[in-house]
Amino acid sequence: MVNLVNIAVNWLLLSALYALVAIGFTLIFGVGGVLNLAHGANITIGAYTAYLLTTSLGASVWVGALGALVVPGLFSLALYQGLVSKVEEHPITVMILTLVTALVVEQVFVVGVGTTPRTVSSLLRGSVTIAGTSVRTNRLLVFVLSWVLIGALFAYITRTRQGKAILATSMSEKGAAIVGIDDGRIFTLTWLIAGMLAGIAGLFLASFTSAQPFIGRSPLLLSFSIVVLGGIGSIRGSVIGAYLVGLLDVVTVSMISTRLSGLLPLVVLVVVLIVRPEGLFGRELVE
Amino acid sequence: MAGDTSEGAGHLLSPTALPRRHQAGLLGLLALAVAPLLVSDIDTLKLTSALFLAVYAMSWDAVSGYTGQISFGHALFFAAGGYTTAILNVHYGVSPVVGIPLGVLVAALAGLAIGVPALRVRGPYLSLITLVAPLIVLQLFVYFSGFTGGEIGLLGVEQFTPDPTANYYIAFGVFLFALAVFLAVTRSDAGSVFTAIREDEDAVVAAGLNPAKFKIFAFVLSAAVGGFAGAVFAHTVAAGALTPSQILALTVSIEVIIAPILGGMGTITGAAVGGLFFWLLRDQLRQMETVIPLLDVAVKQVDLLVFLLITLGFLFFLPEGIVPRLLREARRLGSQPSEATTTDGGRSPLEASLDGFRDQFERLRGGDRK
Amino acid sequence: MKATGGGAVLAAMTGYAGRVTRQTQGGSVEGPIKIGVLGPADSPVGQSIFNSVTLAADEINGEGGIGGAQVQVVTKDTKQDPSTGRAAYQELTTGENVDLTAGIFTSEVLLTILPLMAQQQTIHLTSGAATPEAPQQVAASYDQFKYFFRVGPVNSHYLGVNMVDFAKAEFGDMGFSSVAVMAEDFKWTEPISAALQGDLEDTGVDVPYNERIAGDTQDFTPIYDEIQSQDVDAVYTVLAHIGTSSLVQWAKQQRPFQYGGIHVPAQYPNFWELTTGATAYVFAQNTATPQVGPTDQSVPYANAYNDQFGGYPIYTGYSAYDSVYIYKNAVEQAGSKNADDLVEPLEGTSYTGVSGTVEFYGRDSDYPHDVKYGSDLAFPLWYQWQPAGDGGTPAVFYPDSLADGQYEPAPWTQ
Repeated sequence: MVNLVNIAVNWLLLSALYALVAIGFTLIFGVGGVLNLAHGANITIGAYTAYLLTTSLGASVWVGALGALVVPGLFSLALYQGLVSKVEEHPITVMILTLVTALVVEQVFVVGVGTTPRTVSSLLRGSVTIAGTSVRTNRLLVFVLSWVLIGALFAYITRTRQGKAILATSMSEKGAAIVGIDDGRIFTLTWLIAGMLAGIAGLFLASFTSAQPFIGRSPLLLSFSIVVLGGIGSIRGSVIGAYLVGLLDVVTVSMISTRLSGLLPLVVLVVVLIVRPEGLFGRELVE
Repeated sequence: MAGDTSEGAGHLLSPTALPRRHQAGLLGLLALAVAPLLVSDIDTLKLTSALFLAVYAMSWDAVSGYTGQISFGHALFFAAGGYTTAILNVHYGVSPVVGIPLGVLVAALAGLAIGVPALRVRGPYLSLITLVAPLIVLQLFVYFSGFTGGEIGLLGVEQFTPDPTANYYIAFGVFLFALAVFLAVTRSDAGSVFTAIREDEDAVVAAGLNPAKFKIFAFVLSAAVGGFAGAVFAHTVAAGALTPSQILALTVSIEVIIAPILGGMGTITGAAVGGLFFWLLRDQLRQMETVIPLLDVAVKQVDLLVFLLITLGFLFFLPEGIVPRLLREARRLGSQPSEATTTDGGRSPLEASLDGFRDQFERLRGGDRK
Repeated sequence: MKATGGGAVLAAMTGYAGRVTRQTQGGSVEGPIKIGVLGPADSPVGQSIFNSVTLAADEINGEGGIGGAQVQVVTKDTKQDPSTGRAAYQELTTGENVDLTAGIFTSEVLLTILPLMAQQQTIHLTSGAATPEAPQQVAASYDQFKYFFRVGPVNSHYLGVNMVDFAKAEFGDMGFSSVAVMAEDFKWTEPISAALQGDLEDTGVDVPYNERIAGDTQDFTPIYDEIQSQDVDAVYTVLAHIGTSSLVQWAKQQRPFQYGGIHVPAQYPNFWELTTGATAYVFAQNTATPQVGPTDQSVPYANAYNDQFGGYPIYTGYSAYDSVYIYKNAVEQAGSKNADDLVEPLEGTSYTGVSGTVEFYGRDSDYPHDVKYGSDLAFPLWYQWQPAGDGGTPAVFYPDSLADGQYEPAPWTQ
């Protein structure tokens, strides 16, 4: 039986990462009203951008991190402007289009880089000892950075003008329009932020696993569950949802079977949707 | 569609008096009927698989194209039919003659299982559930791989016959059956209710009908026919080994959405055409040796990517689908006096269903959006 | 991928002409003889198969073909997917009417084409797929499945036996008194996991951890945490699909235990470059290395392959190459390319090629038509990736008769 401390540490670390991904997804859903099934592609692009910058160009891993922030953000932006904004009145079309786009991105990397997993350097090397257990420094850093980003985002949404505009739009488009908020710009901003967050999450994830073309799939699936559980549009819900879903998965994997990883979150998704579709904190943004 | 009912019985008896598009349809069926006699065995095998995809696509269209409840996981129903009969056959020696009807039953139950929550859950949320349900089942499949064969699939499934031509006609039979059933239902009053549900559910309630019953009926019918096709598939095309990648994987669900969209959603015939076209296109790409200029790779090495890009192109530039587009062009070019004016405001079925979606979504979100 | 006539010239120059162990008997065979080859086209394991069959076919054609008939090679991509593999198999058999199918690599694909093989009544000489279920089907229903043969590798059961034999012979010298067994959860590893649980411990090694890891595992940290907490000397792997990411994470995390076992990616000749050296100190099982092989034809073949295709072949290539010659011998012996006429000659094969000496188990054995495992038949060798110059090289250290190096534990574990 493995160390409970180990399990707890892994849970805390990974959930923060999944929260980063889920927040972007829930923002797009809450603000733009659409399910962006290509959200996982941001993760993949972030991971590979970091990989390509650090290996082909020999850049430092922090440059790679910057790239993992910027490139997926731009991709997300382009996806919105070029494709989604033209059909955003039709959520199902958006779902289908983004789903196909997600598959396209996967295939681009399959064809361009290959299916062999690629190593992405850790941000920091070595390990530290916490509560008597050895923890990789990189994972600790990822945990800290994830929370920094979450905090920064929360501050941004609640303190800055643009952030509040995002909040307003997600509550009521009409109301926001009346006070002069250009929702086109808000949507664009939201997609950009979501892309950036998921992109850097991709780098984090790849730094302790590897970059491979399908790296975005399971975080996206988990995001569905997290967002539905936490309530759409709610950042707080996403974070709490991420920790709940993370706990579920960790418990399943360590106590039941590794082969059932990812199953319970999906079941929870279905149950919540049927029983309490607004989730834990749905409509929280409407205070 | 509304225009069809104005033709009298006399017209039905005389092929030459049928509207051009019906003539085209009949010609198509005729071509399919004689295909094995004209093409090689390997092409017959391929057409057989394409026919099954066409049936799957029609079953999706029957519920999602018509009632507007978009299913992202229709493979669940095909697999319910296929795996029921396959498991019974391999583990308990049950003959396909018994297994297939049981497969249909299980699939219909699955349709019920999805249809009922569909009443409570709308729009993208429903689509999410339908997306996730087969993923759950697939994972359980792999977990119980001793029983289900896991990712390798179930081996030793009895096949009716190994002969390609015989298999083709079995598939063609299923195709004709499904086509007949779906056309009958969608061109009937029930079909009008389906369409009405998609357009404006409140009007349906106001008319004294219960949309819930119709929605469930649509799901169960779609699931049953899809499951029937899956069950027959298990004993024909699967050729002794039924694998998830043919019948349960996410790719199958996605194919079954794209095919009707390409062909024309909400028409049944569009779905049939779309399914055939889609399968054959993919197969062609898989074999194409043509080299792409700048990238210096053969198409067949990147066939999935090329296929997805083509699909994206279609979705974006031809959203109403091939068949409606062709019909529009034909109408413009030819003369069709019996074409009544459309009663749907001239929007394509996809647009109409999606508008309906948006309305549902508005209601869900508190109705405050523009 | 198409070889030029240069291959035949090279073959003559390097002395391949004497490969045939039986003279052509009786009448000639009606040509051309079509060989359909299956494998994952976008992967080195598949390319090794395609290229090796092509290489062998060119050599044979240069010497007059099989019984006077020229050999044609048709390749199809399985994409490691059962559906695609079956379609590819049908295209080869129903579509192109090939006389023989070869290759395949993926066990899942092999099993799904077995029923088709029985229908088509076409011989299939397997390279790469290790599942014992295929020969077990032959045992269960010989007349149906007798067309299946496996030239290499030895099946999973024997791969497991070999892991135990290796442990018995070497773990003492390597300093391993306890190991963790980590196998990926796919069909082909099931018999190996079974063999390793019981028999491995009988050799005197402790096995406090023996787990099957989900096939889509990306994050090995929790797994390695647990293995580390068991205080083992090494993790003994059975990996193919998730080998690379597992290995890279072990290296990155500088875990205090050794790493090695059956590891398909570590068998790639260019694995050092692929992982930018992360594979250093990993030990693995293989058919051959570019410098060392089971027979004295192994290395010349590897060099000929490298000269033609740029890069050395993977283990699948060795078996694929031998399978063409084995087929040739059977056809010439039978004087026919009809599959039913070939079953007996094939069963009687005893052919020393580049992958070892290939003989097949008989009809009444546990694994009919499977390549025989034995120290003078098909017998894997073991090596360790070691730094050399500014790169790395595989140093073979077992069996002793082939060794060109010695095992060293990873420096950070000292």
